[in-house]
Amino acid sequence: MNIKRILLSLFLGLLALPLSSAPKPVALLNVSYDPTRELYQEYNGLFAKWWAEKSGGQKVTVNQSHGGSSKQSRSVIDGLPADVVTLALAYDIDAIAERGKSLPQNWQTRLPNNSSPYTSTIIFLVRKGNPKGIKDWDDLVRDGVSVVTPNPKTSGSARWNYLGAWGFELRRSKGDAEKAKEFVRKLYKNVPVLDSGARGATTTFVERGIGDVLINWENEILLGAKDLGKDKFEIVAPPSSILTEPTVAWVDRVTKRKGTEAIAKAYLEHLYSDEAQEVLAKHYYRPRTESVAQKHASTFPKIELFTLAEVGENWQKVHKTHFSDGGIFDQIQRLNR
Amino acid sequence: MNLYQYTAVTALLVTPALSWGADDTVDSLKRQIQELDQKVRVLERKAELDNETTQTKSQDSPRLTAGADGFSFSSADTNFVLKLRGYVQTDARFYFGDNIPANDTLLMRRVRPIIEGTVYKYYDYRIMLDFASGITSSASNDGFLQDAYLNVHYWPQFQIQVGKFKPPVGLERLQSGANLLFAERGYPTQLVPNRDVGVQLHGQILDGVFAYQVGVFNGVQDGGSGDSDVGSDDHKDVAGRIFFQPFKKSNVKPLKGLGVGVAGTWGNQAGTLPGYKTPGQQTFFSYVTGAGTNANVTADGRHWRIVPQAYYYWGPFGIFGEYALSSQNVRRDAGGGAPSFRDAHNRAWEVSGSWFLTGEQNSFSPVKPAHPLSFANHDWGAVELAARYGELSVDQDLFGSPAFATSSSAHKAKSWGVGINWYLNRNIKLTLDYDQTAFDGGSTAPRQVTAQDEKVIITRVQFSF
Repeated sequence: MNIKRILLSLFLGLLALPLSSAPKPVALLNVSYDPTRELYQEYNGLFAKWWAEKSGGQKVTVNQSHGGSSKQSRSVIDGLPADVVTLALAYDIDAIAERGKSLPQNWQTRLPNNSSPYTSTIIFLVRKGNPKGIKDWDDLVRDGVSVVTPNPKTSGSARWNYLGAWGFELRRSKGDAEKAKEFVRKLYKNVPVLDSGARGATTTFVERGIGDVLINWENEILLGAKDLGKDKFEIVAPPSSILTEPTVAWVDRVTKRKGTEAIAKAYLEHLYSDEAQEVLAKHYYRPRTESVAQKHASTFPKIELFTLAEVGENWQKVHKTHFSDGGIFDQIQRLNR
Repeated sequence: MNLYQYTAVTALLVTPALSWGADDTVDSLKRQIQELDQKVRVLERKAELDNETTQTKSQDSPRLTAGADGFSFSSADTNFVLKLRGYVQTDARFYFGDNIPANDTLLMRRVRPIIEGTVYKYYDYRIMLDFASGITSSASNDGFLQDAYLNVHYWPQFQIQVGKFKPPVGLERLQSGANLLFAERGYPTQLVPNRDVGVQLHGQILDGVFAYQVGVFNGVQDGGSGDSDVGSDDHKDVAGRIFFQPFKKSNVKPLKGLGVGVAGTWGNQAGTLPGYKTPGQQTFFSYVTGAGTNANVTADGRHWRIVPQAYYYWGPFGIFGEYALSSQNVRRDAGGGAPSFRDAHNRAWEVSGSWFLTGEQNSFSPVKPAHPLSFANHDWGAVELAARYGELSVDQDLFGSPAFATSSSAHKAKSWGVGINWYLNRNIKLTLDYDQTAFDGGSTAPRQVTAQDEKVIITRVQFSF
């Protein structure tokens, strides 16, 4: 048997395979944070249809993984093969870039608006009639007010909640960090349970009936109020809050290995399209596109929004100061014991 | 003010005060109840979260399992698995008659540790060694190394296996040595490859309704095992097999266990040739071997095989059979004279049937006893009765002049056997077989294998995990 001839035929046959085949179905994994389940369920269908038209019929399936943002980031660093990450804060994607070496350090410059296709903010949900009279951040530190918010060590949403409170007091006290620290200490003294993510905190407040006020994403609260009925809860929008900017990126190490780089990039770029921005607004995320934002302006409460830069420069510094081991959050937790 | 008036005025003054006091108490109690309710809810939620954390941790932790299937370590996502398995067979052979050349003996038939597992989800590996009685090494085959291969299975329909393993030819040969119906395999197995080094493309289509294997191997002699081609044999063999189970996914229960297939090899073979053995492992046919002026017969040229095969299992009943035709060009050299050539067509077939008295579902795969042996529960494991018939015919041209076969060789062996297998549990199996073999041709001199019918009892104690 001429083995060389067989091997040559096999080799040529394998080379011919890609030339003769139709577009193969492809699957992406989107690793995201807690409250985006419903958003991406709808967007994935929209994108699949758009991609099939664009690519000449290629079928794409997008699998979803959800959890606390920081926890999800660690999972990707530990090997969860995410094609794209859509996380609550840029720091969690920075960690994948730095520790996981899975995407370049300048990943935020690859997509518009610093790779943040939508924004949101942090507001409150209280029980019907607002029995504790909660209107603003400083009502959360009063004695006898029970506050539900997740753990900033594991949840991106919780970090935004924390920074909302920190920013409120920092601005009120004209930059006095000690007063801000004391403010957040008092607030977390009023927190009876620390869930690992935003969805868990909603469960604690809504289903388990714990606490007087839930601090959470605006989208999560607007969605929750709609689904759960206005006879049980009321939305409280504080006069000012922090502008949250969840970010997205494709994971180069995975997409290059799987050959999904182009489609993963298209998946995220398409989030900026008008039709995707409409879907975002429908799920109570604030659209970046001006025309879509104006169309849905009445959906969102009027709040004075301050940015992360106003309260802590950037995520690297914020993490080091507040959420690293021994940081301010650890310090106030020790004081509250 | 009389007494009545005094009482009335006092009552009017005191009653509101009492009423206010009672309201305060109720409100206080309500507050306490609400506070206690919140505390209970918080405690319950904390317990719930602790439970979730514990479950998540256990899901993320590597797993260690031990059981009837052996010992296994795996990552939480099961993408990485290491299994430690093995089996040991202790046999006894007792021959009837005084002029039998073989001795009654106890022996370790197979002693096989197995390491197998998976890395990165799609890459399976297996290493199986054998330290049984009589295992040796040669230049072309390390008999201690039975299996050593990597199988890549991104798709069940299209898998690639590389290394040393069983070429896809003989039906009974493809069955695990730990799962045989009789202690020794039937005659067709002696005409097909045992193990060889090569590359195989294989897969299952329609959930196993159709299976195929095709590969390129070094090529080995009938029943042989090899690690490399040595001497003048630098040719490669192609081996292939297709197998249908047409009713596997149908609702026709009596036919679900029907499978038919055909296998074959094609190539060139050079070098030594094997003898053929009885169920009692006595050699009844040998090619002439010698050196110098003495004749010597070797494989030299085209070697092909075709092996149709089938099985059928329904409830406790099972039957399987196969036919093997091995065609090998052979060469006879004697001194400096011109060599002689023959095209040897050797044939073998067998049919084996079995019945589980204890009602287990019979299968080509390992059978699990429904009720493992337990004296306390009056359970007796699984008991299987077995019977088979088989023949091996050697080409008559090898017996002419010049002779390619030794003068003591028979040209045909016909064997029947009955047996009983007792599966105490999934790990321990006891076997008792009786095999009787008659010969056509061969020497009738005393203490020759073919001088009388071979009647042998073989027992086996098998421990596997």
